[in-house]
Amino acid sequence: MAPTAQPTILSPSELSYLHTSLSLNPPIRPDARSPTSFRPLVAETDLLPSTNGSARLCFADGTEAIVGVKGEVERTGGVGKQIGGAGGEDWWVEVTVDMLGQRDDDAMVVFLAQMIHEGLVADGILRARLVINRRWHWRLYIDILLLSPPHTYPLPLLSLTTHLALLSTCLPAPVAGLEKDDDPLFNDDWDAAIPLYPSASHFSKTKANLSAARPPITLLVISVGDNIFFDPSHAELAVADAVVAVTVASSPSSTDNLNLLAVRTIDPPSRLSSSAAEMGQAIEEGAWKPKTGCICRTVWRKRVGMGVMRGGVGEEVLGGLEGLLKKAYGFEGLHSWMILVYRERFGRYQEHQTLRISTVGWKVTSRRVLDMRTEADMVVSQTGGSYRMG
Amino acid sequence: MDRRRVNGPPGGTAPPCYASTLSGKTHPSPKRTRGANEIRKIFLKTGLTPSASGSAYFELETPPTNYSNSLTNRTSALKLTCTVHGPRPLPRSAPFSPQLLLSTRVKFAPFAARQRRSYIPDSGERDLAAHLETALRGVLIGERWPKSGVDIIVTVLEGEEDRPWDALAAGNQNGRTGGWGMMSILSGCITVASAAITDAGIDCVDVVIGGVAAIVRQPAAPPQLVLDPCPSDHEEVIAACVVGYLQSRDEVTETWAKGNVTASSDGKGTTPMGFNALVDQAVEAAVAARRVLVEAIRESTEAKIQSSQAKLPDKLTSV
Repeated sequence: MAPTAQPTILSPSELSYLHTSLSLNPPIRPDARSPTSFRPLVAETDLLPSTNGSARLCFADGTEAIVGVKGEVERTGGVGKQIGGAGGEDWWVEVTVDMLGQRDDDAMVVFLAQMIHEGLVADGILRARLVINRRWHWRLYIDILLLSPPHTYPLPLLSLTTHLALLSTCLPAPVAGLEKDDDPLFNDDWDAAIPLYPSASHFSKTKANLSAARPPITLLVISVGDNIFFDPSHAELAVADAVVAVTVASSPSSTDNLNLLAVRTIDPPSRLSSSAAEMGQAIEEGAWKPKTGCICRTVWRKRVGMGVMRGGVGEEVLGGLEGLLKKAYGFEGLHSWMILVYRERFGRYQEHQTLRISTVGWKVTSRRVLDMRTEADMVVSQTGGSYRMG
Repeated sequence: MDRRRVNGPPGGTAPPCYASTLSGKTHPSPKRTRGANEIRKIFLKTGLTPSASGSAYFELETPPTNYSNSLTNRTSALKLTCTVHGPRPLPRSAPFSPQLLLSTRVKFAPFAARQRRSYIPDSGERDLAAHLETALRGVLIGERWPKSGVDIIVTVLEGEEDRPWDALAAGNQNGRTGGWGMMSILSGCITVASAAITDAGIDCVDVVIGGVAAIVRQPAAPPQLVLDPCPSDHEEVIAACVVGYLQSRDEVTETWAKGNVTASSDGKGTTPMGFNALVDQAVEAAVAARRVLVEAIRESTEAKIQSSQAKLPDKLTSV
């Protein structure tokens, strides 16, 4: 169900080669990445003018997603119900996933939406922010559109795009009716809107304890043999012994560790690979055969630990994404059009160069997620608030 | 404006809403009476549905209550039934499949919880089915049944409530993820499906057992790690974890953890409330439940052998 039902087109000997090179110590990945490094990505935010926040993200393998976040004011509690508490409710956040060629009740779509929703509401920070007063609250619709066919498992892509979209989401600032149970009145100046996840500088004026909170991200982790890999590509997923999705978020209280919000195992697509069952004949030639059982607990612990511990991969990814936004915001505030162009910029993403107004050669160093042995150029082109307001 | 009829007030009305005459003081919410590392008693029996190739029934004991005179405080139980149909050949129109195609379905009966469920599976039920499939696919030896499929259907006859009914009535709707009650339902689903698969005689590498553990907090008390939590017993559930565990191989086919756990690998080893401790406790719960499953399987196998031995002479004499 969960993984794409497309069988891999790799031959048994190719699978065997992949599996052997991935289980070496140190492992060799097909694209020569280290086990924890991510593929380059291209991201931009605030691209949909009619949403409260939006983002678009492309991975280097051509998968691409757009997320739009919209907020609506809704009355809390229905007829005959008491007034809602201060903590908010899970169903105020609604996540829908739309994939090309998939029905909206398809198991994969349901599962992806559920997984992302689970992560977003797990820490209770987001839903608490949706409370306006005791009688009114925001309802947040997060609409995820996967533009490319789901070749690899799209969960990390969708999760990172949602993260960026939520970071760029602004809700209109209330000017009256906050304390009392009155109907709220909002400032119609978009420049005065309050970001849903304010940056640290914005928050120094208000509550400091919320400044560290960021939307969670979901990482995909696979194990092959005794090795653990982050951000697996399509070929690596085809030989994975086990696949786990780990949702992490920076903990609001302490900055040293990440909070683990959700973990779930995913059916490894290797079991569906067409050559998996033909192994019966080929096994004496040393071909690789998918494992029947699942992962040992020791490997398992190592995997989760790597994602979560201090200085682990999860922290890097979160930090990288934040750094990306911070730099852009530093220049132009929230209404920035930001494009990260990597090595691929002379290839597939060349069209973005037309958007370039001023090139600032930033090296996003020490963030392995962003600089993949290349110098990352961050290209920022100013569109300003007028674009956003249309 | 209809002038011929008496029109209602223009702003709409709200029906009167009466304050509850039951005060929370007289009926205290249920409390956990078991120890922290004690799971509820399990009733498990296989082979109850004769028309299916394998079936099992699973029930968790209802803890005794002394305030059962109030409807609102009735504690919930968990009752599941599972049927396995197959392995049977795929229809001719289906594409070739080199291994057993597994399809799982988890459905709440309309009367399973206080809120009526519809007949069409909602997203929570489909999500449970996806979890169950992940847990089971790892143990089935699928290559032995090419071109065939098996359907595993779990019906929840009585599900667990997420919280006491008093709290539920206070304007709190269930979240989309279905809350904490889903975790123990999934654990039961894994165990009952495993028993039914064994009853159907489908080859597996081991029996897979579900186990749940949770970090809970009572007001004015430090957080506590408990096995097999009943969500309505606890004031606040911080995190919970379900595993599908294979004891003889020490492997985990399914993990589902939710909630806010600080990472345990802080360089100083395992913290008592960390994620690894949570998984270990869930595995402990699974190990404890395994005894029941093995006993139930042995019972039904002995019964099968006895009945076949009893039938054999009859057949011979009749021929």
